[in-house]
Amino acid sequence: MTRSLFIQSVVFGILSGGVYALLASGLSLYFGVMRIVQIAHPAFLFLGAYLTYSLHNRFDIDPLLTMPITVPLFFVTGMAIQRLLLARLRDENAAMMSVLLTFAIAVVVEGGLSAVYTGSYRSIDVEYAKKAFDWFGVRIPRDRVIGLVVAGATLMLLFAVLRYSRYGRSLRATMQHPEAARLVGVETERVRAIGFGIGMATAAVGGAVLSIITTFFPSGHWEWIARLMAIIVVGGLGSVGGAAVAAFVLGIIEAVVQSWLSPVWAGMVFYLFLFVTLIFRPQGFFGGRLAQRY
Amino acid sequence: MSLAVRGLTKQFGGVVALDDATVDFVPGAINGLIGPNGSGKTTLFNIVTGLIPTDAGEVTFAGRPITGMAPYRIARAGIGRTFQVVRAFDRMTVLENVLVAERRSGLRELIRSAIRGSEVDRAMDWLRQVGLDHLADADAADISYGQKKLLELAAILMTDPSLVMLDEPAGGVNPVMIERISDLIRVANANGRTIVIVEHNMEMVMSLCDHVVVFDRGRPIASGAPDTIQSDERVLEAYLGV
Amino acid sequence: MPSAIDASPRSQTGQSGVVAQRRRQAWNYVAVLALVAVLAAGPVVVTNSYYRYAGVLMVMYMVMATSWNLVGGFTGYVSLGHAAFFGFGAYCTGIIANESRTSVILALLATVGICAVVGAVIGIVALRVRGSSFVIVTIALVYMGSLLAQGLRSLTGGSGGLDVAGLYSFSGRAARHAAYIVTFAVLLGVVMWLWNFIDGTKFGMGLKAVREDEDRAQSLGVNTTAFKVVAFALSATFVGSAGGIYATWTGFIDPIFVFSVQISAQLVLMSLLGGTRSLWGPVLGAAIIVPSSEFFLVNLPEYHLVTMGVMLGAVVLLMPNGIIATLRRLWVRRRAPAASIREVAGAVGA
Repeated sequence: MTRSLFIQSVVFGILSGGVYALLASGLSLYFGVMRIVQIAHPAFLFLGAYLTYSLHNRFDIDPLLTMPITVPLFFVTGMAIQRLLLARLRDENAAMMSVLLTFAIAVVVEGGLSAVYTGSYRSIDVEYAKKAFDWFGVRIPRDRVIGLVVAGATLMLLFAVLRYSRYGRSLRATMQHPEAARLVGVETERVRAIGFGIGMATAAVGGAVLSIITTFFPSGHWEWIARLMAIIVVGGLGSVGGAAVAAFVLGIIEAVVQSWLSPVWAGMVFYLFLFVTLIFRPQGFFGGRLAQRY
Repeated sequence: MSLAVRGLTKQFGGVVALDDATVDFVPGAINGLIGPNGSGKTTLFNIVTGLIPTDAGEVTFAGRPITGMAPYRIARAGIGRTFQVVRAFDRMTVLENVLVAERRSGLRELIRSAIRGSEVDRAMDWLRQVGLDHLADADAADISYGQKKLLELAAILMTDPSLVMLDEPAGGVNPVMIERISDLIRVANANGRTIVIVEHNMEMVMSLCDHVVVFDRGRPIASGAPDTIQSDERVLEAYLGV
Repeated sequence: MPSAIDASPRSQTGQSGVVAQRRRQAWNYVAVLALVAVLAAGPVVVTNSYYRYAGVLMVMYMVMATSWNLVGGFTGYVSLGHAAFFGFGAYCTGIIANESRTSVILALLATVGICAVVGAVIGIVALRVRGSSFVIVTIALVYMGSLLAQGLRSLTGGSGGLDVAGLYSFSGRAARHAAYIVTFAVLLGVVMWLWNFIDGTKFGMGLKAVREDEDRAQSLGVNTTAFKVVAFALSATFVGSAGGIYATWTGFIDPIFVFSVQISAQLVLMSLLGGTRSLWGPVLGAAIIVPSSEFFLVNLPEYHLVTMGVMLGAVVLLMPNGIIATLRRLWVRRRAPAASIREVAGAVGA
């Protein structure tokens, strides 16, 4: 492999890593808030992409400018799902049942998408995103850069909210110790609902980004959930920062392998890392001590 | 059977649960392990029984090192423990809860029927000892909290342990039940089993234990007979935070 | 907290529950034989080729759901990855039969052994984590399988699929379907007998303890790791065998189809719907889901996925214990109308 191709791949990997990082951190948020693995997260990502597509085609709105519409919509939907469905699970096996429930939701979303849009591949072409930057001989696709910028900005906003806002403090308290949080007056149920809403909002952002950088089809979300899950396990369940780091590392390795071997083996990278992590360090590289028990 | 703990250290993130703790429990006696909340007692239990790994130090039981051994092997080596919040197999019957206990088993043992006569008899004996034999067919989910404590006791005695570790056996039960549990502990001890109890109920500790170890902030700060401990300055300081 | 139950004279010995369980187990063996006989005789009554086709699917899913339940029902670990073994078994049979020019039967037998070994190896790694993490890992398995099947093109035919010879040389499709109904019915009998057998052994009891409280089971001396791996390997073996037989039935393996999380999800749905803690739960679930699914596929194909998703969600939210357990509870309540507070509290909390 030539040096320039390698650099090209690394750059590409960084760009993909950004999108992976955004989505994986949303998933970490769900896990931290409710100790559930939200399997439907990528499904909503795709729903977001399709909505962006429709809004773009119908009303000629720029994909990124659909976010003011989709983000609040998803936020409210997320709160509703948490309140109406997930909160109803009061079982010893709540962790497991919630996986099945979110799985069911993912299937319903996919079913709805394929019923409405059929299985054909869709994508959005925007003029400003179609070209590429040239940076010292390295070709950097513009759409990916936009994706990274949007993802990065959203991630930073997310971190800021978590760190500095009053809501963020309540959320972190609820994540660490729900009972103690309740004792000091935090309305944990409301905090959870909002947390879920925020998670869904990141899916809306991700969906808008996805719509311009790649083609999408209804059943594509399964591939994403498997990859995101691998990232989360490698990074460590419950560690938002860990997930971000793992996202970039795996994104880069995937891109390099893709140029070097083939897309098929590139996909395997995630699973290989998943299994290696499981064998040698089941709690992930940055995970909490009992991460694997959830 | 002697249990010795040497230099155990365990950290959870920023919290130091055990700080170079070294303890020798008296074999054949009823040992008490007391100390304020968060002093590392349950962590010690979890490390000794193999449920969590230790950062440093070692555990020796009957002369053999057992640090880091798989929990089921430690159980089979003769250490039984109960949990702080009582645990039972809810969707199995009381009898089945006791039958699950295993001391030794090869392949032939495992594929034989679980409810063989001889095993059932032994299990029923233990249930009779703790006074739960009339509930043998009841689902464990349906019995009271105190009865679950007795069930836990019966189950670990079924493994015929030489060391019994009890984590707050008197927690959350009425005085009559506490008496009953104390009696059972005395009987088990009389049968040659070493006992280690973590307890906050001082009355129970003073009346039951032959030897007491006091923990504070992850290490032992005093040990000896109950009356000596009672008047030890350091112990009072630890509890009252003076 | 519920208070102590009224002691009934028979339970004083603790033997009545034991005797009842033994009797129920023996009855199950007989009932399974009856079921197999009924299913195998089905083609005599059902001569329509399409219905027979649906029959093969139904019995095949009965086999796979029951196999899934060897892990899900006993240990409580929910695997969404059994499709990986289904696909693996299919390709195993196909590749061995094609590459080594042996008869399909020998290829199938080899598949059984290989699936057992592979199942054990994967189980050792995957079972290091619990709960949701385990579910994630199993999903990843399916995708690994899919990628490998598409990537190792020279071996597997890649995305284009693989042709496999048939097991029987019947000329008509209807006759072939009938033969496969009998084949799967026999396999069903075997796996149900195994499930029933395990249910009564110390091994089964240890597995159930894992489901209830894995840490406590370990502290009582149960080698939970070994137990889980064995159950997982057995489960993988039967699902893989079903996959192998399936490959010979359809004559063709499509990697996208066999390695799909949908198949795994259907196994979970069937077992949950019928009831995971019963021998008959998965069978009942398959008997309900497969015909319904076929109906939707033929008449309302756009709504097939949505319906399946809604069903799974409904079962999880409203009837997580499954039909059989719910019926049992209603039956118990009807038989003891003067219920004590304990019973009502117990039933509500169950």
